[in-house]
Amino acid sequence: RIDGALVARHKELQREVCDLTEAEEQLDQLVSKCNLQLRLLTEDPQNKKLGYVRCQDLRRSFDSPDQLVMVIRAPPETQMQVSEPSEGYQVSLKSTRGPIDVFLCPEDNSGVC
Amino acid sequence: IGLPTNSAQECQNLEVERQRRLERIKQKQSQLQELILQQIAFKNLVQRNRQTEQQANRPPPPNSIIHLPFIIVNTSKKTVIDCSISNDKFEYLFNFDSMFEIHDDIEVLKRMGMACGLEVGKCSPEDLKVARSLVPKALEPYVIEMAKGPISNVYISGGSSAN
Repeated sequence: RIDGALVARHKELQREVCDLTEAEEQLDQLVSKCNLQLRLLTEDPQNKKLGYVRCQDLRRSFDSPDQLVMVIRAPPETQMQVSEPSEGYQVSLKSTRGPIDVFLCPEDNSGVC
Repeated sequence: IGLPTNSAQECQNLEVERQRRLERIKQKQSQLQELILQQIAFKNLVQRNRQTEQQANRPPPPNSIIHLPFIIVNTSKKTVIDCSISNDKFEYLFNFDSMFEIHDDIEVLKRMGMACGLEVGKCSPEDLKVARSLVPKALEPYVIEMAKGPISNVYISGGSSAN
């Protein structure tokens, strides 16, 4: 016997999949728009100049007298590799486009890095 | 007449398809949320710095600031760090004798409150107002949704919702 419920279920599922397809397309558009906006935003020369944190911001963000805070500034496409914890605690950095800058965030209140 | 014999099978296929799409949408939603957070955090930061510079009437000393992008590695002060650097400073190798953490600059901005608390869904009405003002209209529904708390269900803007 042919099941009417199954027919209804089939229709329902088809509709849902259709809705989801549409939702996903919308989402794709938003994501790519957002990516573009962010790129324009961060590449704007004026914003670039103002896109910084102060040393004291950093200290406050890792607020623990026990913590050593290291800052790494590297050119785009620099590769960072972290070892498996079971094989020790190791980080390697490899740049192809320019030197990498590494320094410690100061602990005193001089506010100078 | 009526159904093809494989209709039950088709239902199952559709069910799988539906689930797959839901998963993908979830993933893309968190991607979108992260992008929105970054946008808000960055704009907030720039605004704050602009204001501070205007008030002080000068930019901060160059050695007191760190420009984005950067990465933070933090560890206990007791940790012994062994570091080798190539002559041209293109390559670094760090060995730690204890655990460390790696954070990106966006994480720092979030900790500074630049994302208006949206990252954890803890957003005061004031925060929300600021956050909404920093994104284009099309993204506002997402911001409002994020302010309510971490999104666990699939949320589709525009009314129709799916679970």
